[in-house]
Amino acid sequence: MDGIKTPMLELRDIYKSFGEVDVLKGISAKIDKGELLTFVGPSGCGKTTLLRIVGGFTTATSGQVLLDGEDIGKLPPNMRNTKMVFQSYALFPHMNVRKNIGFGLKLQKWPKDKIDKRVEELLALVHMEGLGDRTIDRISGGQQQRVALARALAQEPKVLLLDEPLSNLDANLRVVMREEIRNIQERIGVTTIFVTHDQYEAMSISDRLLVLNDGVIQQIGSPIEIYEQPANEFIAGFVGYVNFLEGTVDAIDEGTNTSYVTTKYGKLELDHNQEEIETGDEVLLVIRPETISLSPSHGTERPNTFHGTVESQMYAGNLAKYTVKFGDNEMVVDHYNPMGSEKFSKNTKVKVTVPRAIHVLKR
Amino acid sequence: MAEAVMGRVPGRGIWYKVRSFLNAKLVNIFAGSLFALLAIFLIYPIISVLMKSFWGDDGFTFDFYVEFFSYNFYYWSLFNTLILGFSTMIILVIVGFCFAYLTTRGPLWLRKPLKICALLPLAAPPYIFSISLITLFGRNGLINNLLDLNFNIYSWTGVISAQCLAFLPLSFMMIENVLNSLNPSLEETASDMGASEVRIVRAITVPLAAPGLLKAALLVFVMTIAEFGNPAILGGRTPFLAVDTYLAITGEGDFNMASVLSVVLITPCVLIFILHNYVLRGKGYATITGKGMATERKPMAPIIKIPFMIISISTALIVLMSFGVILLGSFVKIIGVDNTFVIDHVLNTQSNIAIWNSIKVSLGAGLFGAVVGTLLAYVIMRGKFRGKHIMEMVALSGFALPGTVIGVGYIMAFNRPPFLLTGGILIIILNCVFRFLAVGVEAGISKLHQISIEIEEASADLGADFLTIFIKVVLPIMFSAFVAGFIYTFMTTMMSLSSVIFLVTPGFDLASVYIYLTAQLGELGLASATTMKVIVIVAISLGILQIIAKKTGLDVSKQQGA
Repeated sequence: MDGIKTPMLELRDIYKSFGEVDVLKGISAKIDKGELLTFVGPSGCGKTTLLRIVGGFTTATSGQVLLDGEDIGKLPPNMRNTKMVFQSYALFPHMNVRKNIGFGLKLQKWPKDKIDKRVEELLALVHMEGLGDRTIDRISGGQQQRVALARALAQEPKVLLLDEPLSNLDANLRVVMREEIRNIQERIGVTTIFVTHDQYEAMSISDRLLVLNDGVIQQIGSPIEIYEQPANEFIAGFVGYVNFLEGTVDAIDEGTNTSYVTTKYGKLELDHNQEEIETGDEVLLVIRPETISLSPSHGTERPNTFHGTVESQMYAGNLAKYTVKFGDNEMVVDHYNPMGSEKFSKNTKVKVTVPRAIHVLKR
Repeated sequence: MAEAVMGRVPGRGIWYKVRSFLNAKLVNIFAGSLFALLAIFLIYPIISVLMKSFWGDDGFTFDFYVEFFSYNFYYWSLFNTLILGFSTMIILVIVGFCFAYLTTRGPLWLRKPLKICALLPLAAPPYIFSISLITLFGRNGLINNLLDLNFNIYSWTGVISAQCLAFLPLSFMMIENVLNSLNPSLEETASDMGASEVRIVRAITVPLAAPGLLKAALLVFVMTIAEFGNPAILGGRTPFLAVDTYLAITGEGDFNMASVLSVVLITPCVLIFILHNYVLRGKGYATITGKGMATERKPMAPIIKIPFMIISISTALIVLMSFGVILLGSFVKIIGVDNTFVIDHVLNTQSNIAIWNSIKVSLGAGLFGAVVGTLLAYVIMRGKFRGKHIMEMVALSGFALPGTVIGVGYIMAFNRPPFLLTGGILIIILNCVFRFLAVGVEAGISKLHQISIEIEEASADLGADFLTIFIKVVLPIMFSAFVAGFIYTFMTTMMSLSSVIFLVTPGFDLASVYIYLTAQLGELGLASATTMKVIVIVAISLGILQIIAKKTGLDVSKQQGA
């Protein structure tokens, strides 16, 4: 099956409303086998509701959930082969680690020796060897997270669901567990849906992201696509800071693959590689702060350059951050690795150069 | 493995049918049965009382109310009860504040002993103080004789003192809670700006604590007017509602007037219950913002310290003396008159039979109460049906209703078909179960608040059906609430007097009733010895509750309503 992507889970036109409120407005997506897909979006966007629909804790108002081609949308959670790691972990406080992990297997009437063997395997998988007899309140938050993961994986689910699993951990542990989860997921190759509101977490753990806002999918794509080719203004502003600049496409030179754009600061020459952009279009330029370079205003003139004044500056060691003012407008410039290069103080006149490779949104 | 999960669907046979029926309907079955129980054992008796107060031989009438308001013996019992309630309330808010201020802001060496003394009355039935005050200040009382006073304890002073001592823990705990939750930096800021301690107490502490103080005051008021034992033993000829209700039935067999008295008594209780739960809910400034530091406080100003200490320490001494004379009185012939050591009181057969009866009744009530309370909590928290809130309100109302009223209701409701129960031990057990249900229900609810609904969802996710979740996950997790509910009901039933006194039959004495009767007859030795045994049992129960509270964070010991 290597190389060929088969959809393990398919969501077809899912709608969900709670009374008057429409939470999900027509969600369709395919999740490939072995893939880690993240549902990400601001709080209230419907991502947890969507996950709960997949898990069977909520039923969709309309639409289908297909697991391996079979509609599971009406089955209760205990009848579908998706397993969830809950935000609160939901470990049983009256059972020890081993019993928690083996709970589902016991319900399936596995013989005791097989359960024991499987639990040991899982303890090893999540690096908790020897802690099986601890009670839940005697292990740390990170360890509880591992137990919850092991418990969900015990029955070898077709799809693993993770509901903001890292939100209860402190910042350092969050990074460690994020990598750990990704590691285990890749090792056993389980199809996984991961819900988070944290863009950076989503970017760093996912094969693909499904970005939701206001109950609508904004974009599905790899982290690279999300960052470098955002589908709209929301996505562009969702990960990292972005300077938006309005402009009009004056001309396109197919020979040199160059588009000529007029903005209120001046004219720009940009790479033309987006077929949907045509001459005469009103566009929005997505300019990332770290792609802009600053230089003293007296130097040689270069293309794609504007003149401005440093409004404020902040030096953080690995990064010098500037806000440059152009009349009434500002642009944020991140100068990474500023060591050894020229710094600019407040009120200095500077030249701002934007690159040719800029993503363009049609308005 | 997927098949294993899915394979559970196509089950056949009778067991499968029963199981899937239970899976779908169990919550509804519970809810239905509990509704029925609450209707029969709480609502029906109260309605019987209400009906009886309007229903004479010739049908509907206001005659009994007219009668109540035309005889000063009756309407004075209303005024007296209100006077008793107000004076106890005012005294206890002041005394409780002194105690609480000292235990939260006073000198460290004094905090623990004062707290213990303030909470000590929890381990005893409220009417212990009647017995101890008679022993100390009665006609042959120790202090009366010692100082050659001619003090009459069978008076307003006696009743109010006994009530204040009995409900000191209630007032203290609530006020201490409020004072603890005030942000200390507010008082420090005021001090920083140059305010004296008197000024701070007047301008900062008391105003901020005011909503909490009001709540404490109202609760004390309700508990005091409903209390039966102290006014009955010390009240002499002064009429009080709770006592008159009892006398109307045992003396005159006048159920109509007993019902009117009950309705009159219940009215302020219900009003305050509503005020407390719906108007004052969530009121208060006691929300901590920023970090509430355990700051080292400067010593108290003498102008506050001295009066507060005089009030608190003298009260604490009376509490200690009360327990002391109960202990002493159990082991001497007639305390203050003939102080020779005897073991007779403690070994008295009748006293032991009464204690044993009480234990039996309390065990039954505890067990049944814990089952009903736990299930009610589960249904209220997890069920989805109309009338859930009414169910919760009814379940919690037993706590607010005066014991005498429920007692009257029970004898009228259950002395005729369809529920002929009077004259047995069962009716006493049921009475205590439903009067003290609130605490078990609240313990269950707070336990269920602690455990996220995600735990039940996780069980379902792992393949469990509803029945499995209920038996393997919910019940084990709620076990601590069950035990807490059991012990609390056991303990309060041991001490309960006001309601069961209507239901006991001659020849079947409960400890509380036996104590009341012996105290009435002046048999202080027997009363003391029996009280001491009750105290020991209650103290052990409280100890177990403390252990549960420490282990599981589930604290029901700070409730009072016996």
